[in-house]
Amino acid sequence: MDPITFSIIRHRLFRVVEEAVITLKHVSGSAITNEGHDLMVSLYRADGSLLMGGVGFLHHLTSASEACKAIIRRFEGDIEEGDIFLLNDPYTAALHTSDVYLVAPIHHDGRLIAWSACFVHVFDIGAMNPGGFAPDATDIFSEGFSSPGTKLVSRGRLRRDVWETLLNMVRGPEMVALDLRSMIACNNVARERMLTLVNKYGTETVDEAFRRLIEQSEQRLRERLRELPDGRWQSRQYLEVKGEVFRVLLTMSKAGDSLTFDFTGSSPQSRFSVNCSKWASLGGLFAPLFPLLCYDIVWNEGVIRPITMIAPEGTIVNCTRPAPVSVATVGAIQSVNNAACSTIGKMLMASEKYAAEATAVWHANHFAIFMFGNNQHGRLAIGILTETFAGSGGARSFADGVDVGGEIPNPISRMANIETIEATFPIRYLFRRRLQDSGGPGFYRGGTGGELAIVPHDAPDGGLHYVVSGKGTKFPQSEGLSGGYPGGVNDYVWVKAPTSGVNADPFAQGLPDMAGEKVPVSWGVFPLMGQDALYVRWNGGGGIGDPLEREPAAVARDVVDRAVSPLAAEQVYGVVLAGDKIDAERTRARRATLRRERMAQEGTR
Amino acid sequence: MSRVSMTLARENGRICCASCKMPLAGGSESWKARAILTEVSVARLPGAGLGVEQEVTIRRFSCPSCGALLDSETALPGEPFLEDVVLG
Ligand SMILES: [Zn+2]
Repeated sequence: MDPITFSIIRHRLFRVVEEAVITLKHVSGSAITNEGHDLMVSLYRADGSLLMGGVGFLHHLTSASEACKAIIRRFEGDIEEGDIFLLNDPYTAALHTSDVYLVAPIHHDGRLIAWSACFVHVFDIGAMNPGGFAPDATDIFSEGFSSPGTKLVSRGRLRRDVWETLLNMVRGPEMVALDLRSMIACNNVARERMLTLVNKYGTETVDEAFRRLIEQSEQRLRERLRELPDGRWQSRQYLEVKGEVFRVLLTMSKAGDSLTFDFTGSSPQSRFSVNCSKWASLGGLFAPLFPLLCYDIVWNEGVIRPITMIAPEGTIVNCTRPAPVSVATVGAIQSVNNAACSTIGKMLMASEKYAAEATAVWHANHFAIFMFGNNQHGRLAIGILTETFAGSGGARSFADGVDVGGEIPNPISRMANIETIEATFPIRYLFRRRLQDSGGPGFYRGGTGGELAIVPHDAPDGGLHYVVSGKGTKFPQSEGLSGGYPGGVNDYVWVKAPTSGVNADPFAQGLPDMAGEKVPVSWGVFPLMGQDALYVRWNGGGGIGDPLEREPAAVARDVVDRAVSPLAAEQVYGVVLAGDKIDAERTRARRATLRRERMAQEGTR
Repeated sequence: MSRVSMTLARENGRICCASCKMPLAGGSESWKARAILTEVSVARLPGAGLGVEQEVTIRRFSCPSCGALLDSETALPGEPFLEDVVLG
């Protein structure tokens, strides 16, 4: 095949995915999809292997491949032109029940030539708690509707019986219907554009391009791995739920042109829904691998071949049915993301050629807060606080992390405008801003996370309730690199209004300004009623290098920008300020003292 | 001299501080055991959250010769060190 045709087909595949994502966003009506970009669209070969990984949450690329393969096995002889299948069982391929896959075969002249697949986090899936994240769930049976494979559209016609059964089991069925229709439309657009491509170049040429594309990705990743040093790197992540602490332990080994991710030593599976299945762990480790090692390589099956995962059965990273997994995406999967980001970062840092690509861990802890209740328009509203997608950048080996700078596993994640949320929910924001001292200290500082506070407003029922699946308040998880400190932790605080009935200060600029009893909450369903407020803060990214070596001028700038407090400047960075100015002499003395303290061994193994 | 991280290097099969070149350990030994370890309580860092675990610390491994900060890790008491081995 001539290189120009190959290149054109490759670019067309990117555009097919892009147009399908646009379709998904245009049809879906929920903020989590079209504002938070909690979505994914990808293309697969006829056998279900990954052909073109799209944007969105990258831990879905390999899981949706497994979803296609599961459908191929289950529906052998019954996969027809115009069909669309639904799959959301975590023990078959999905990450959790609320991230529903719709996968569609693409036929040309009656022959299966490819698949398209997409997901959105649907409005509701009928789990114990509204919105899909179910901290109260005790097993997979309490986490809502779960299908290992259902034909939703048969030869282009919606199967009404299946459709109505599904919508009969969820809250807000009209919103779930919109979610499903957005995915049907997305798959339809992907199929039409793929067929245009095939009609122009012919199935043989296109299939040859697919094969070469995968071969090329494998070859290029293996070449890159050979350029990196052999070795073994470790990372450890702590998760806590209701006083129980779980570990995800990763040892990543690189030998020649292959990489092994070994999770031996991770905690046994939990009774809480933070577990994840093995497909989810596999997706979890690929989410940072694609952007960090394959930033210039097409994300497809070729990238998967050099990688091996060891995840012992019965652990938090490969739980057995019927363990609950609805909080997996922000629980064990995110810890797998973080651990893989950390070990890959260390490996890159060990290479002269690739050190510039190294990064500390970005925003390591989502806060899954799903609000639900009747809104000011008299309708049931369920939805996530999309600030969790705003993230925070990890420090790079040449620059600070970006404040509120997104996250590694989803290159297009973002948060909704406050007005969008206030228009949908009966709430009002008191503030939303960067969070001081949340970026991991280092020679290069981690990007800050953020903080917000909301109060009920114009609520027909006096307020609403929210589901919080809030790990991340106990342990920092955005690990630093080469001595850099981790980013700060999350907090979820129920501010109970004083009994005098004094309203929350409408101009409060932070938690200290807010009157009332401050009760940390983290797991379950809580009210946001009357004059009470909910305060949330999210973690910053990890730092890189020694904070005592950071340019004093950079620390002073951070203090002026309120990214770093004067206290942290002095205690952590050893920079003493007089007003906005650096006190050079006291800074020298302070840094010398802190270095001396660091030389006085105190810890023991 | 080959690179191990931003702060560590390897020379003649030994891991050394990249800043002062002081050898810390042989290739197969744990260099962390030879570094100076100090721990910072996460709960006492400026900006710590309301709910943070009191026991968790940031372990800081420093060069015994020049004091350069070589690495850090988050740990509960009694956890083994994270071991990173670069074979080159
Ligand atoms: Zn030194």
